[in-house]
Amino acid sequence: MSAPPHPRFEVVIGLEVHTQLRTESKLFSPAPVSYGQPPNHSVHPICLALPGVLPVLNARAVELAIRMALATHCSVHRRSIFARKNYFYPDLPKGYQISQYEDPIATGGWIEVALEDGEHARTQRVGLTRIHMEEDAGKSIHDAAHVADDATHIDLNRAGVPLLEIVSEPDLRSPAEAAAYLRALRQILRYIEVSDADMEKGHFRCDANVSLRRPGDSALGTRTELKNLNSFRFVELALEAEIERQAAILEGGGRVQQATMAFDPATRRTRVLRLKENAEDYRYFPDPDLIPLVLSEEQIERVRASLPELAEHKCVRFQREHGLSAYDARQLTSSRALADFFEQAVAAHGTPKAVANWMLRDLREALSAFDLEIESSRLTPQSLAALMRLVDAGRTTAKSARELLPVLVREGGDPAALVRERGLEAMSDAGVLEAAVAAAIAENAENVARYRSGEEKVLNFLMGQVMRRTGGKASPAVVRELLARKLARETS
Amino acid sequence: MSAAFETLSELAEKLASREVSSVELVGAALARAQATQRTLHAFAGLRPARALAEAAQADTRRRRGEPRSPFDGVPVAIKDNMVQTGEPTTCASRILEGFVSPYTATAVTRLEHAGAVVIGRTNMDEFAMGSSTEHSSSGPTRNPWRLACTPGGSSGGSAAAVAAGIVPAALGSDTGGSIRQPASFCGVVGLKPTYGRVSRWGLVAFASSLDQIGVFTRNAHDAAGLLELISGHDPFDSTSIPEPAPALRSALDGDVSGLVVGLPRECFVAEGLDPGVLTAVREAVAELERAGAKLREISLPHTRFAIATYYLIATAEASSNLARYDGVRYGRRARGARDLTEMYERTRSEGFGEEVKRRILLGTYVLSAGYYDAYYRKAQQVRTLLRGDFERAFAACDVIVTPTSPEVAFELGAKTSDPLAMYLSDIYTVSANLAGVPGLSIPCGLVKGLPVGLQLMGPALGEATLLRVADAFERRTPWHTRRPEPTP
Amino acid sequence: MAAELDQILEYAETLSAVDTTDIEPTAHAIPLPTPLREDRALPPLDPELAVANAPEREGFAFVVPKVIEGDQEG
Repeated sequence: MSAPPHPRFEVVIGLEVHTQLRTESKLFSPAPVSYGQPPNHSVHPICLALPGVLPVLNARAVELAIRMALATHCSVHRRSIFARKNYFYPDLPKGYQISQYEDPIATGGWIEVALEDGEHARTQRVGLTRIHMEEDAGKSIHDAAHVADDATHIDLNRAGVPLLEIVSEPDLRSPAEAAAYLRALRQILRYIEVSDADMEKGHFRCDANVSLRRPGDSALGTRTELKNLNSFRFVELALEAEIERQAAILEGGGRVQQATMAFDPATRRTRVLRLKENAEDYRYFPDPDLIPLVLSEEQIERVRASLPELAEHKCVRFQREHGLSAYDARQLTSSRALADFFEQAVAAHGTPKAVANWMLRDLREALSAFDLEIESSRLTPQSLAALMRLVDAGRTTAKSARELLPVLVREGGDPAALVRERGLEAMSDAGVLEAAVAAAIAENAENVARYRSGEEKVLNFLMGQVMRRTGGKASPAVVRELLARKLARETS
Repeated sequence: MSAAFETLSELAEKLASREVSSVELVGAALARAQATQRTLHAFAGLRPARALAEAAQADTRRRRGEPRSPFDGVPVAIKDNMVQTGEPTTCASRILEGFVSPYTATAVTRLEHAGAVVIGRTNMDEFAMGSSTEHSSSGPTRNPWRLACTPGGSSGGSAAAVAAGIVPAALGSDTGGSIRQPASFCGVVGLKPTYGRVSRWGLVAFASSLDQIGVFTRNAHDAAGLLELISGHDPFDSTSIPEPAPALRSALDGDVSGLVVGLPRECFVAEGLDPGVLTAVREAVAELERAGAKLREISLPHTRFAIATYYLIATAEASSNLARYDGVRYGRRARGARDLTEMYERTRSEGFGEEVKRRILLGTYVLSAGYYDAYYRKAQQVRTLLRGDFERAFAACDVIVTPTSPEVAFELGAKTSDPLAMYLSDIYTVSANLAGVPGLSIPCGLVKGLPVGLQLMGPALGEATLLRVADAFERRTPWHTRRPEPTP
Repeated sequence: MAAELDQILEYAETLSAVDTTDIEPTAHAIPLPTPLREDRALPPLDPELAVANAPEREGFAFVVPKVIEGDQEG
């Protein structure tokens, strides 16, 4: 993506991500965080905003927020305040959302985003303005078969689920950069187990702010906000559409109005949902039912000490310690599960480059074919290593091993046992091999003559003949050696 | 109806000695409640079947020698803004018509665990907003001392129920004086504990940083016993003080010698204060001095800003706390609304009374962009100054004494057309809520046949001192034993 | 209503006479340590009870008049 997103304008993008924290219970209520339950099957009086209920803060949510703040180099504020954001909506049971406003838990961090630019991968540092905790609203269901045309159904299972809001600085300059940033953010969240960040399950939602300005301008143009973008692809498409729309306005001499926009994937256009001048006044004030969150240095240090090694660091270490290329290292550290699998396989086998090759080629193919993640594969690092050792020792051929891998991925099992069961042992019986070699030589006199007259390449054909006779079970290296010896002897 | 004016302790003794059964006591209480509904209207609703069943269980436990507590089987009442599983709670509002709670307030659970039997829910000002119990969707409660007068508010029903001898004790809530002022108007003891002393879990919120559940009783000893029962840390309330229930009854030794009583000059200004009330309070203070207390004039210089501060903070918090009453999940919903906006507007407009609407509008305004700093934030700053006044005062004295109210019970309808005048009757009580300190009102006299209340305020967690002073006063004076002979 | 509100707001103006320079607004009357709840899910409320008070319901969902997209929260 070396071409800028628009020929005549500079694009300025900031992203606001809401991601669901990995907790058992909700942010201020002990109701379970669930998925796929029938409506209102996962609620507590607090979630329903019944008269007389009160919020109590979830300790783990705080820990996860601190973890993310530290992993993204933020300043963690020792004192932060929960505030009420007041507005009316049927899926907001209290008539206010408990969020953080003037005193969030963290501010001023950054992440490194890898931008593949053809062969010239570069990284861009994207600043984070703030990270704060807030509770999710419930769900409004309109367009479903069982819902009447003039009605909306309200399900409060999701009401009160803990969210982390992560706001970036307006440092992004193109839709592709925005998508890359989202991927990087998601990777961190998963790496440190703060969020599953699964966009399909609604764990990870993105709003984008975009404005245009003439190159060289330091002031920011008027921005619009794109909401409810629920895939990375839609984020890119929506931004592209909005950039086009704003450019057309500006070039026509008009002014962009501050607005909230919706993106229609069918038409690939954005449209105004609501003008900002009609924006609500949320009447934020500190929630009097909650005590300011005060953290001790100890608490923060404890979380810092428990932070797992992050992807960036791992990637550098893999290149240094295991001699991998930058590309391979990046692939293998793209998830913690993959990285851990790699290191365990290397510990069991010993040759990082070989393990990397197996993982990045055959294993990846098998996982993709079965639509599995490495976590759900039945192949263990130890069994991969065992399989590789069988090949090294000539007990089976590389080809057979590659055939066996998908079976191990899907069903598990002991490689050596499977090799035996499926008769994939490399033919090592000298007599059988010699006979096959002799037969091949006998039946291909013309080619043999050609070989002996100097056409070395014919050896491959003769090898093929031997392999055919042995059903591919002979070790190519052994066959080659035998053939060469036999052919050589007979010349002398 | 011989048990009508007995104290909690007296009834507990009679139950322990098996002189009377819980079923008899609870039955008699229910009968008195029903008999006075037309005249007093102290109750929003009664739960006779369940109450008698619980009483029967209490009797069974007593027979087995296994009472849950000394109060096992005693009839009590709770204000209609505290939820109880399976029971309707209306907060005297149409908007909560039909609402039945699936959970119970912590303070009520503690009563239940002690075996106390809740006979019903008492009438109140809608959502606890008021000082006369006239803003109730079911009509006003009347003062047992004079039926033409209000019992005060917002916990007027609970005060009247105890004053009329229907029950020996009742729970109320106090945000700006809603326990102390009705206690004063009805001649009973009313205690608002330190903020955070009693859990607010299950108390329908009015102003979160000011609300507290408290007790109405016939004397200080009962108040001490009941507060011991319902107070103590609750993990369901983040603002609950992490302390166990205090031991209070053991502090009631009648000895106040050497205790320093602070008299804030701002609360003894003649203007606006009924001369009869001033006389009664002065006489009460003199009695304390005769008992050995030392008097000291002190100052609470920001008292004159207390009402404005209170109303800005309380209405702001209330406007947010009452946003949940939208007709979506419970309560009343306007019929036939064509769209969501109409549903919200009509539900709330039809469901809330005038005073509640007034406070919601005010509160919304106070928090709105452009006004937040000048109103809400400013009020919270003045609140800090008021807290400072109390801290300095308690460095110079052990307990602060003032009249509870500048007047005795006023007539029904006297102030309903002038909300500001109604607000000003809270002048002596709101400061304690703003500062979070405990406040107690005890009867100390009569003016033209209507009770006068003496207010005692103490430092945070200082309920024991307040109750000791009250108890000492009761040992020397007859006011807490006077009973109303209602005249129209 | 408007007249009474005006009167009350005028009364509230009296606070502007108070010098509050450098005074912290009260966050809580009684200072307390931050209470935190262990992250353990309790069994949810019986869904029947959850919707028992609903003015209008369909199955276990609350029903309200249709929400128009423009009303949607930002």
